[in-house]
Amino acid sequence: MWARALAGIVAGFFLAAGVVGLIAWAWPGPWQSTLVGSALAFFPAWMLAATGSFLFTDGKRAWLWMGSLAAASFALLWLLRSLQWVA
Amino acid sequence: MKIESTTLRTFTSVHTWVGLVAGFALFVAFYAGAITVFHHELMLWQAPQAASQAEGSIDDAQRLLDETLKRHPASRQWVGMLFPGAESPQPVIYWPDEKAVWHYATLDNLQGSDKPPQAGLSELVNALHFSLGIPVAGTYLMGVVSLLYGVALLSGLLIHLPSLLKDLFALRPGRNLKRFWQDAHNVIGVLSLPMHLMFAITGAMLCLVMVAAVALNPLIYDGKVMEAIGPAMDTAPPTQPAGTPAAMGTLAHWQARAQDVAREQGLSEFEPAYLKLVHAGDRNATVEITGESPRSLGPLGSVALNAHTGELLATQLPGTRDANHGTLASAYALHFGEYGNVWVRWLYFVLGVGGAFLFYSGNLLWIESRRKRRQVQQGRAQVGMAKATVGICIGVCVAISLAFVAATLLEGFAVAHGWNVDAGIQWVCFLSWAACALWAVIRPVAKAARELLWAAALATAAVPIAHGAATGWWWWTSAAQGQWVLFGIDATALALAFGFALLARASARRALHGDPHSVWAEPQPIR
Repeated sequence: MWARALAGIVAGFFLAAGVVGLIAWAWPGPWQSTLVGSALAFFPAWMLAATGSFLFTDGKRAWLWMGSLAAASFALLWLLRSLQWVA
Repeated sequence: MKIESTTLRTFTSVHTWVGLVAGFALFVAFYAGAITVFHHELMLWQAPQAASQAEGSIDDAQRLLDETLKRHPASRQWVGMLFPGAESPQPVIYWPDEKAVWHYATLDNLQGSDKPPQAGLSELVNALHFSLGIPVAGTYLMGVVSLLYGVALLSGLLIHLPSLLKDLFALRPGRNLKRFWQDAHNVIGVLSLPMHLMFAITGAMLCLVMVAAVALNPLIYDGKVMEAIGPAMDTAPPTQPAGTPAAMGTLAHWQARAQDVAREQGLSEFEPAYLKLVHAGDRNATVEITGESPRSLGPLGSVALNAHTGELLATQLPGTRDANHGTLASAYALHFGEYGNVWVRWLYFVLGVGGAFLFYSGNLLWIESRRKRRQVQQGRAQVGMAKATVGICIGVCVAISLAFVAATLLEGFAVAHGWNVDAGIQWVCFLSWAACALWAVIRPVAKAARELLWAAALATAAVPIAHGAATGWWWWTSAAQGQWVLFGIDATALALAFGFALLARASARRALHGDPHSVWAEPQPIR
């Protein structure tokens, strides 16, 4: 229980940040023009991630899945930005 | 929808524990928040002599602005002012000094003070709402509580999902009391879910947005969030002072100009609420007039002018503003219920009290589902939870009602004896809350519940009586003179007092005649 809770809070934080970051950068226009929306969207995203972590059967899986997804989202954001596909 | 039973069990315990941890704070936030919906009305209720006083004019506001700029050099950097109107009948001006301490001044107090005027009762109830009355840290605590609240809502929705539609309108009174409470908890939770999600999200944002901005800055905002916040939230573009002094336009001129601009953008109404003025007296001084246009989800919009020339610099008005300003105005208005008319605020009041019931019933369900069905003696955890629920939740209802009584009585004495009304209200509130909690600790819980409910009924019934006795505004006087705000508060207090009395009677009946194998049963004398 606690391992999954911790995965939801910590890995879930980064996953929510990564997903919101991807949407904010991929949205038409600069991310600055939807700053309020993306900062607001981060809170429900984090709540969803923290709740969703309990869908995994144990803490290890939760950490593994959510950690990798978070890392993947940041990697994708970095890739899109270095290819200048988003700005 | 089919969900595996292990998943359901996991989410049930998540919902239970998150709900218990956040539930007490949420009860206080919702009960106080429901009252805070009417914070303008509370100011009037606390000092009804203002009701007969004329609203300040734009000339009064001009005089306050001129005097403040003359007396307080720090205010020339940045100064804000409430126009006389709905928010405050008299103009109020505020500015930060060199040490970033806020000062507030009115025409009655041009020297200024570091406390906002007319705070008192409505400020106390508001502080209970967003910080439990705990300075600084309380706001962050409530931010965390909002996040837990979100998790509790999502996990609760998931548990209830398999039978959500089937049980939506089921409210089964009868022998199985747990079923009844569960049905009540579910139906209120589901029907008010959109409102609860909105409060969880906007509440978390209001408390934690700066923390989130700092944390997300290096991750997704490229380290540039601080530069982006200004343009996202202000209307006027940032300007540097030119260094050359120049005469400024008048408030009346700015107000007329802003209304003209709004009309050109298709807004028939634009009622100025407050302004921000930077670099006052400089050639590059800018003024931002924020006003309300009805029939918008985010009614507040603003117009930025050069304060010297009156030239239009930028606008962020309903219908034409950008995504950031549209989102911000709507998020604020949704949380505070500041759109639509007075019925929206009554709806928020009802949903707020309903929300408080949701958290209260959650605690009752926890106790009920751990009840030992074959013995009178209940577990220590159940008794402890029952005592905490009664002491804190009913306690805060008693405390808030007593704060109302204290506010109206002290307001009368304050002028004569030079008492500090605000401090008095706070002492009454927090001491009586502590006393209620202590009462719940030392009394058998079934007795404590009944006695505290009677205390809440009496304290709440005393609200309109104390008000009438202290100010002469009895509820029939208010009704006869068309002071519906005063009448509304008194009538609501009477209705709540009646509600508390009904609950007290129900608890008494339950304690004496209900199932004796429960924390809520009165311990029977051994014969």
